[in-house]
Amino acid sequence: MHFLAYILRQTGKNLRQTWGTQVMTLLTVTLSVLIFAFFFLVYTNMLRASTRLGDDVRLIVYLDQEIPASTRPELEKKIRGFGPVEKIVFVSRAEAFARLSTQLGKEKDVLNDLGPDFLPPSIEVYPLKNLGDLTKISQFSDFLLTLPHAAKVQSGSDWLRRFGYFTNLLQVVVLLSGSLLIISMTFIVSYTLRLTVLSRQGELEILRLLGATSAYIRLPLLLEGMLQGLLGSGLGLAALYILYQWIANRFSGPGFLSLFDFAFFPPEITTAILLAGVLLCTAGSLFSIRRFIRI
Amino acid sequence: MLRDASNDKPLVELVNVTKIYPPDVVAVEDVSLRIYKGEILYLTGMSGAGKTTLIKLICRLETPTRGLIEVAGRDLSQISTAGIQRMRQKIGVAYQEFRLLDKQTVLQNIAMAMEVTYASTKAIRARVDELLSLLNLSDKRDKLAGELSRGEQQRVALARAAANGPSLLLADEPTGNLDPAATELVINLFRHLNEKNGSTIVVATHDESIYAETEHRVMALSNGQLSALPNHAPRQIELFEA
Repeated sequence: MHFLAYILRQTGKNLRQTWGTQVMTLLTVTLSVLIFAFFFLVYTNMLRASTRLGDDVRLIVYLDQEIPASTRPELEKKIRGFGPVEKIVFVSRAEAFARLSTQLGKEKDVLNDLGPDFLPPSIEVYPLKNLGDLTKISQFSDFLLTLPHAAKVQSGSDWLRRFGYFTNLLQVVVLLSGSLLIISMTFIVSYTLRLTVLSRQGELEILRLLGATSAYIRLPLLLEGMLQGLLGSGLGLAALYILYQWIANRFSGPGFLSLFDFAFFPPEITTAILLAGVLLCTAGSLFSIRRFIRI
Repeated sequence: MLRDASNDKPLVELVNVTKIYPPDVVAVEDVSLRIYKGEILYLTGMSGAGKTTLIKLICRLETPTRGLIEVAGRDLSQISTAGIQRMRQKIGVAYQEFRLLDKQTVLQNIAMAMEVTYASTKAIRARVDELLSLLNLSDKRDKLAGELSRGEQQRVALARAAANGPSLLLADEPTGNLDPAATELVINLFRHLNEKNGSTIVVATHDESIYAETEHRVMALSNGQLSALPNHAPRQIELFEA
């Protein structure tokens, strides 16, 4: 009990003695977490959006003649050999006409003058819904064009592919900001602790002479790093949540954000970011303690 | 407490200890010495004779270039870091240069020694008050150490060394800045610790007035070598020849 009380008292003393530097460190940690978490939040939302958009992705191979039922399994096997496909639908001229007629509803009269043969037969290929496939649509499309009797391939929207590229770019930004977060948090916390150690050099030397244990000297400094991590990450996430609320309120309703179903992190991700912040700052403290304190 | 050395083991034993500071300054040369539990030993000698080095060697602030030092039967060169930390909690050292924290109060400075042993706040307060009373510093308890006179700082350093009721108290020139009245208080403190706690006390001093009338052992250090002062080697104390 006394041990814990002393450790906490020493930690409080350290924080009081270097409060100016501590505030600056806290701000840096908060900003680092905010920047990283912001990009990560956008990235996770984009990923979710891409999954939703992927529901509509299909490649349509227009054919110059009907494919007999006997050769369909072989063709299907060939297509599945290229990549993961959810389903393949063969659409005959008659089926295509019937579909269009259904889609037109009351306007189907416009088809009266056209025979059921005016639409080409086709194969509809539904790739598996994930981002990796979205970016490979172009390659898939080129492959489908090599199939027998393929006249043209419609590969959905080009913007979908560009959206995939953009998400990939965002992934790079998240990785970069994550690396920046790791470097800045460990470096800044380690530097702050170094200042603490320097400002208390005389006291630490006397404590050493009086027989203070390693735990007595080191634990308060370690606790200081952990507190910086916890508070910094907490404040960073809180700031992001406020920003998220503002964006969600400001851009709610029909528009870009409604398309993306913009959502905040689930509790497990929030906890993971918080823990990562604590771990990184503790690592920074440990580095400083090992390097600058001689016991 | 005047002790009989014939039947117990020494608390501190130095065997052929030499300390040479780079490049070739011989501070202590081939010193052998036994200090027994409950003894008060005065180490005398001119400045630079090696008294401070000997004190530092005993509390392992320095390591010997050659020789063996044992405290409570344990070879200091073989004790782990944790062991040294535990040992220092039981050894009180009053440094010649005091080593106080000027921006902390007298209470805080003395309390530090007990805090590292995780003593309770109540026990710390009581002990600090007792020591300050013994050293006539009660009215200085809440003053900053930096605001005290040299003599007062010296007594605070002694109080800190005595705070844990140490088994061994090493005092380096404890009366260097004190007037006769304050010197008397310090001697009384040593006597108090020795008689009440059974503390072994080693006093390094060149102040002849504090050992002139003593019944305890007085050893002289000169050019790093140790010898007993003829008139101050009571028969009860075994002089150790390595």
